[in-house]
Amino acid sequence: MTFGPAVGNVGMYVAREMLAAVPEDQRQSYLRMVEEISELKYQLGVEVARQLPRLLAEHDPELVARYLDQVKRVASVGWKSGVEVAKQLPDLYGAPDDSLAESYVEIITHATNGPSEDTGTSQLADELDRLERELREMEPKVKRAQELRTQLAARDRRDEKRRKHAVELASALPPILARLRPRYRPPYLLQVQQVAGADPEASLEAADTLLDLLNGDRVSPEGAAEWVSRGLEVLERNKEVGRGYFRLGSKYALEVLEELKEGLALKSIARVLKLYATALSGRDVVIRSTADVELSGARNLENIVLPPDIRFFDDDDKNFIAYKVAAAQGAGRIEFGTYAFSLESIPETVSALENRYGGRK
Amino acid sequence: MGVESQRVEDFRLTREPYYVPLGNEIELFEAAYESKLPVMLKGPTGCGKTRFVEHMSWRLERTLVTVACHEDLTASDLVGKYTLSGDETVWQDGPLTTAVKAGGIAYLDEVVEARKDTTVVIHPLTDDRRILPLEKKGEIVSAPDDFQLVISYNPGYQSVLKDLKHSTKQRFVAIEFDYPPPDIEETILKSEAKVDDDVAAKLVKIAEKVRNLRTHGLEEGVSTRLLVYAGQLIQAGVEPIAACEATICKPITDDIEMQRSIIEIIATQF
Repeated sequence: MTFGPAVGNVGMYVAREMLAAVPEDQRQSYLRMVEEISELKYQLGVEVARQLPRLLAEHDPELVARYLDQVKRVASVGWKSGVEVAKQLPDLYGAPDDSLAESYVEIITHATNGPSEDTGTSQLADELDRLERELREMEPKVKRAQELRTQLAARDRRDEKRRKHAVELASALPPILARLRPRYRPPYLLQVQQVAGADPEASLEAADTLLDLLNGDRVSPEGAAEWVSRGLEVLERNKEVGRGYFRLGSKYALEVLEELKEGLALKSIARVLKLYATALSGRDVVIRSTADVELSGARNLENIVLPPDIRFFDDDDKNFIAYKVAAAQGAGRIEFGTYAFSLESIPETVSALENRYGGRK
Repeated sequence: MGVESQRVEDFRLTREPYYVPLGNEIELFEAAYESKLPVMLKGPTGCGKTRFVEHMSWRLERTLVTVACHEDLTASDLVGKYTLSGDETVWQDGPLTTAVKAGGIAYLDEVVEARKDTTVVIHPLTDDRRILPLEKKGEIVSAPDDFQLVISYNPGYQSVLKDLKHSTKQRFVAIEFDYPPPDIEETILKSEAKVDDDVAAKLVKIAEKVRNLRTHGLEEGVSTRLLVYAGQLIQAGVEPIAACEATICKPITDDIEMQRSIIEIIATQF
């Protein structure tokens, strides 16, 4: 059954037999009334739709209006009470006492509404509604605040970690500096400072690695600066990868080092050369770097003094051969006493030569 | 007994072992043999101690029973023990008892490696009694006149825990060995490895240089035996540096830097 747009979806709960019981000229207004009251509550519409045909049949518009008004009053304070009142009220209209129905409605309204002090509850509810609305409006801000809180907590953790690594660096640097050759200290500190500014954790790695690179003469101070500069670029892109670079734990770090490496360091092969020269000469030879000798000033007849690195060739095997030649020559001088000669021994030597080869006139 | 004698006879050398005297060791050994005195040979590994004993065994026409001593060698292993044979136990002479009974030379190689009780067992054989008590068997074996006890001893190996007791050391005539002088070592190489003069001279020069490292991390210098090995490999067609690396360098040290320096020394010659 279709009642057209004016009656909305009232047909869902107005049964055919109910509509049939309504006088034909009143059916349209019946449906409007049902629709109107059902807007308050669906169940209310169902009950009113059931009761209204009885009242409409009496052709008393005032009674119908009175009925709908009383039902609405009760339903406004409690729809379940409204449904029950809508069901019982038509029977009360038949009572001899006209005021009975109104008294009934008053009682149910008060009973549903509760004592007067409970009206404050509705205010509370209103306030709650208002607050909830405000809270809903606040939700994006709360969400943003949470995001900021997370970001700041991460920053705090990073700061804490940074401070911890700074303390470790503070503890590690002095002994490293003590081990580092004095002439490398200024460039070393400059490089470590740069890395520490970017990431103290990476600077711990860099501090150790640079010590080995410089003390081992694996790179010059300029080479170390370039190596650090390339590492800082890596560090900027990715902290973890950058830290790996500074501990020489990445292929790229080794490649850069190989690119910057200048010659073969004496330190890396000093023991081999010592054993080699000792074997050749049969004497307990000491291999010393020219840099060390300059610093200590100590020279010894059994010393072979060699440069701290040799860069004659691109190939380190050839640089090793160069060291070997120099060591072999040093071993020869030691074995055959080239440096054992002293001016004090000249008279003795002349006498010995005269005895051996005859005097010269 | 017959079987044992037969077995001992197997140890009689029929061909003269090559040996070049380094000093008066042959005279000393012969004199000790005549005087029935035990002999102790001291010297580094591979310097020719065992070859010398073999040579003396051939020279004196005596059998040679050699026992390579090790840390698990007990007095029973040396003297003899009862073993099960079917339902009965039978006594089985150890190599020392066999050598004593048969006469000839008993050579205990690296005796200090053996357990302490073995050195005590040989004491009665080393003084004027010249007897070997078989305690478990309740028998005493007297050494015949042609019996000679020889031990070898490498002073370079010894430590506080592993050294011959003085009560043992002072029972022997000591003959000290060292690596031969260069000219003799070259002669040995030419004879033993069949290398030419040039290769022999180079090998000896390498050995001389490597032996300079004995107090610098190398426990022992390269032995004459290893030089012979190197020469033999070269004669077999192995490239000289590779041959020397395999025989002179790798066996004597595991220290990588020491190995590298030795290879450089080898490279200066080949």
